[in-house]
Order: sequence, then structure tokens, then C-alpha cells
Amino acid sequence: MAKKSSNRYVVSILVADRVGILKDITSAVTDMGANIDGISQTVSTGYFTVILTATFTKSLSPKDISDAILHNFAKDEIEIVVRPYEEAAVKRAPVKGNRYAVTVTGKDRPGILKTVTTFLAGKGINIEDWYVEFVGQNVTHIGVISVPKLLDIKQTQEEFQQLLSPLGLDSFIQHENIFRATNEIGSIRSLIKSGR
Amino acid sequence: MLRKSDILSTIRMLQEENLDVRTVTMGINLVECAGRNMKATAAAVEKKIKLKAGNLVRICDELSTQYGLPVVNKRLAISPASLLLEGHGHNDAVLLARAMDKATTEVKVDLIGGFTALVQKGMTPGEKLLIESLPAVLSQTARVCASVNVATTKAGMNVDAIKLMGQTILRIAHATKNKKGFGAAKLVVFANIPEDNPFMAGAFLGTGEPECVINVGVSGPGVVKRSIDRLVKLRPGCTLDEIAEEAKQTAFRVTRTGELIGREVAERLGVQFGVVDLSLAPTPRVGDSVGEIYMAMGISKLGAPGTTAAVALLNDAVKKGGAFASSSVGGMSGAFIPVMEDHALARAVANGTLTMEKLEAMTAVCSVGLDMILLPGNTSAETICGIIMDEAAIGMINRKTTGVRIIPVPGKKVGEKVDFGGLFGSGTITNVNCPDGSEDFVNRGGHIPAPIQSLGN
Repeated sequence: MAKKSSNRYVVSILVADRVGILKDITSAVTDMGANIDGISQTVSTGYFTVILTATFTKSLSPKDISDAILHNFAKDEIEIVVRPYEEAAVKRAPVKGNRYAVTVTGKDRPGILKTVTTFLAGKGINIEDWYVEFVGQNVTHIGVISVPKLLDIKQTQEEFQQLLSPLGLDSFIQHENIFRATNEIGSIRSLIKSGR
Repeated sequence: MLRKSDILSTIRMLQEENLDVRTVTMGINLVECAGRNMKATAAAVEKKIKLKAGNLVRICDELSTQYGLPVVNKRLAISPASLLLEGHGHNDAVLLARAMDKATTEVKVDLIGGFTALVQKGMTPGEKLLIESLPAVLSQTARVCASVNVATTKAGMNVDAIKLMGQTILRIAHATKNKKGFGAAKLVVFANIPEDNPFMAGAFLGTGEPECVINVGVSGPGVVKRSIDRLVKLRPGCTLDEIAEEAKQTAFRVTRTGELIGREVAERLGVQFGVVDLSLAPTPRVGDSVGEIYMAMGISKLGAPGTTAAVALLNDAVKKGGAFASSSVGGMSGAFIPVMEDHALARAVANGTLTMEKLEAMTAVCSVGLDMILLPGNTSAETICGIIMDEAAIGMINRKTTGVRIIPVPGKKVGEKVDFGGLFGSGTITNVNCPDGSEDFVNRGGHIPAPIQSLGN
């Protein structure tokens, strides 16, 4: 079993969105004497989800933490998972490489995400973020991905297009700097350096 | 952290609005190749071009793939070829141009600029030789582009040189009459020529520039036009200052893509990065037109009163957006109005709403000059000289670059159509409203003194 970092936990929560959810969660965690040292929250089609890490000053069980948070919610309102934070798991997870954006657009149909993610996983590409937007019958998938440095990006782009084009989908894989250059105001020189 | 809306807006610019990097131009100083023996000089020129630019196209293509951003043209600009021609003869000039042409072909680049002479204050024998060789050079090479600077705000205007250019342009057109005078499309006559301009046909590497440098020309008229379209659709009653703001913000984003590509190309080649020229350069494609931008602003007939103000608004907004985007802005940086290369401008000329004289007024507030304009084959040398002098005067007095790239098409008359194909586009022969009457003035020759604006120290 992987060694846990003492008194540090990772908490994941799913709940129908309403005002004050994050307040209810962070109050419960903070009142137990914890410092929240990592958090990512999003809302998708009316559902709120958050993942956070917190380090507690005293030894607690996952059930203690879960119960304290549940106390601030109505019965059956939320789903919650609490697990000890494992340093080893974090070290082996991410792909070290260049960050790209992948976009797929076209008429929506079942199986697009499965096809895309199967392709990316087969290339050793890690997905960091994924968004979907619907306009009428059309869908746009946008992913932020880490591409292994040794992967031939031109060949990957061509294979990706060949895979999705028969499904009526347009697809692009482009280095993140083109998006940062057109949307940020920092100097290009710094941007190029930071990408290395 | 990339945001969804940022990614989508950039994708839209690339996929729907023709955003591209119009040219990555490598400047190469060839002065070290000079010598008494032109065969040896030509061989040295060929060798150095291939050494410096051998990987230019490959690296541009790699970056184009990585970013999903087309790099349309890869080009070369050399130090003024006249510096290599001192002490040589006519055949030597052609030999040098052929060596440039051959090396350019071998590195898979489409055009090389810098067959250039700077004669604003006077002519050396090498510069005179270069000008007199242009009919042979531009008819016997495919990729060589030429430019001659005849005036500056500091030095005034060399009218003797302009007289020579008037005759030379006619000779070039005649020498390339089997290509409808196309040779003249590869020559620009400048006032205040920029030393780091990456755009053809006027690109050259100034003597104050590095040994080898990458300059980038961005484009993006389609992006600006669509952004104004969206603004007008959202707020039909929007004011001109709102349009200027929209154009400025768009120019910012366009400029940044140019600097990104330019710096990466320079780094991978191990050479210095120079400038981004943020000119809006059209192509004959629909949706890639500067004329369409003025129409989106509300000028339904290009050439109507107000057109010059529209040009001024756009040119200024582009400069402001670009200046904030990058501290390495140079070249000409503004809005081009090359008639044949812009379908909306070409149509307005064909319809008669946009005339030579209105174009001249527009050049007083935009970045270049009378560009890619077709004239009747029987236009006189004096008329061409007068046109050049008027443009040079606008540049000289207003401390700005102006240029003349006109093509007197042999055997063609006003109203006839001419198609050069590709990026050079097509157009209609236009008339000069008053084609004679300035012969005595032009033929006096000499030199128009530097204006009072030159005494700035």
C-alpha cells in the first residue's frame, strides 16, 4: 500500500448546484482545524463538483471528515468521497510534455468522447481539462492535453483527423502558446521561455 | 490556464477568418561576397544563401504544424545588391541576379528581395548599373524582386533617378510583354524605404541591420473585417471610435501570432529576431481583403467621399494595437492597398468608383503607396515619373514610407482585364485622369531639396 502523507486528505464532492455550496464545504473542513492546500471546482449542466486537498492539525479518519461535511447539507443532497492523500500516486500520474489544446467540432453523436479519449490514451497523451459546448445539434469538445515530448505531433494530428473526419468531425491539435499569445498580454519572449 | 472562450476565439480566427503569418523573411547580409570577379562573387552569394536559409522552409513548416497557423510565404531579403555591382558591367548584374534566383530556388523559397539601390541623393556607378539592368534581370529571373529608393525626408528627392525609373519601368514591361508586363510587378520605387520590411516586392536588408535576421509580416484583414462585422451586428448604431477600438484589439492579437512564429523561427535557426511588420496585407481571396474592411465600416462604394478617413482610422488602429502587442514592431506596419491583390479594391477600380487620384489620397494616410495598379501600355515615361514624384512627395513631406508599383501593360488599353494569377491577382487597366501636361516639370530633372521637416536636430 502506498504511503499516505500524514493528516492530508483528498475530498471529492458532487451536488446539484445552489448558492453557498463551497461555503458549506470549506466551513466544515476549516472548523476541523484544516488548511485547504489545493482546490478545483466546476459546474456542468447544473451540477457542482469540487476536488480539494486539506491538511489537518490532528489525526482524523475519512469518516470523521465526511460526517462533518455532510452535517452542513440536507439528507441525500450530496455524494462525497474522502481518501488519504498519497504522495506516490501523485508522482506517477502526470505525463511530462508539451501542453496542447485539442478541439473537435461537428454534429453530436454518441461515442465521440470514447473515440477521442481512446485515441489520446493510446498515444500516451494525458487529458488535463475537458469542456463540451452544445449549439443546436452541433457539439464542440475542447481539451487541454499533455503530449509526450517524443511524440511526432504532425503524424498524431494526421491520424487524429483521419479518425474523426469519417464521422463528420473537424479536429485540431495545437500547441497552447498560440492561444496564450492571442489572449494574454505578457511578452512573447517570456511565453516561449515558460513553455520550456 | 487556457479558457474555453479564448481557445474558441483563436480557433475561429484561424479556421474561419484566414488568420495567417503572411511571410517569414530572412535577411542576409551579402556584402562579404563582393569582389572584382563576378563569377566568384556569384558563387559566394549562392553559397551563403544556401548556408543561411537551407533550413528556413523546414522550420517554418514545423512551427506551422505545431501551432496550426499557416505560414504562407518564406522569403529572403539581402543587403542592397548595388553594393556588389560597383566596378562591374551589365552582364555581371545579370549573372548576380541569376545566382540569387538559383540559390532561392534551391532553398525552396518563392521570392528574394534586395536587388536594390538607394539613390535618394545621388547615384554611384553600381547603383546606376543596377537600375539599367532591371529589364534584363526581371525578365530573366523568376524570383528576384527589386526596389529603388528615390527620396527621403532627410535627403529630398532625386528627380534624375526618377526620370531613369520612368523609362526603366516601361522597358521592364516591354521585356516581359509575353507575361503582360509582369516584370514591373516585381519592382517598387520607394520614398523612405524601410530597412527591415519583410514584404515583397520591396524587402531588402538595410546596412544597419544584423548579419542575418528573421523579420515577420503578419496579415489578418479577414480577422479585422469579421470582428467589425460582429460588432456592427451586435450594435448596428456603433460609432467609429467603437470600430477603431475593435480593430485595435484585433490587431493586437494578430501581431502576437507573428511575433510568436518569428521568435521561434529565429531561435531554431540560431539567428537574431528582427521585427514584426503588422501590415494588413490582402490576398485576392474573398474574406482576405482590406477593401472589405472599409465596406464593413459603412463605405458601400470604395472611393466614395469618406474612404480616405476610413483608411486613416484603420491604419491608426492597427498601429496602436500592434505597438502594444510587441516591442519589436517595424517594417511598414499599417494597411496595404494593393489593388490587384485585393478583390474589393480591384472591383471598385473596375467599376470606376476608385480612381488613381483617390488612391493617391488614400496613400497619404496608409502604410505604403500606389500598389499593383495596371496602366495602359502607351503610358509615357513622363507620366510615370510624375506619378512617382507625387507619391514620393507625400512620403517625403509626411515622414512616411510611400511606394509605387505600377504595371504599364504592353498593348492593353483602359478597361481591359489582366490576370497575373496567384497572390498577384487580377485587375482592370485604369486611366490617369490627366495623363499629360507635366512633361516640362518632370524633364527639368535635378533634385528637390530636403524639406524643412528634415532639420530636426
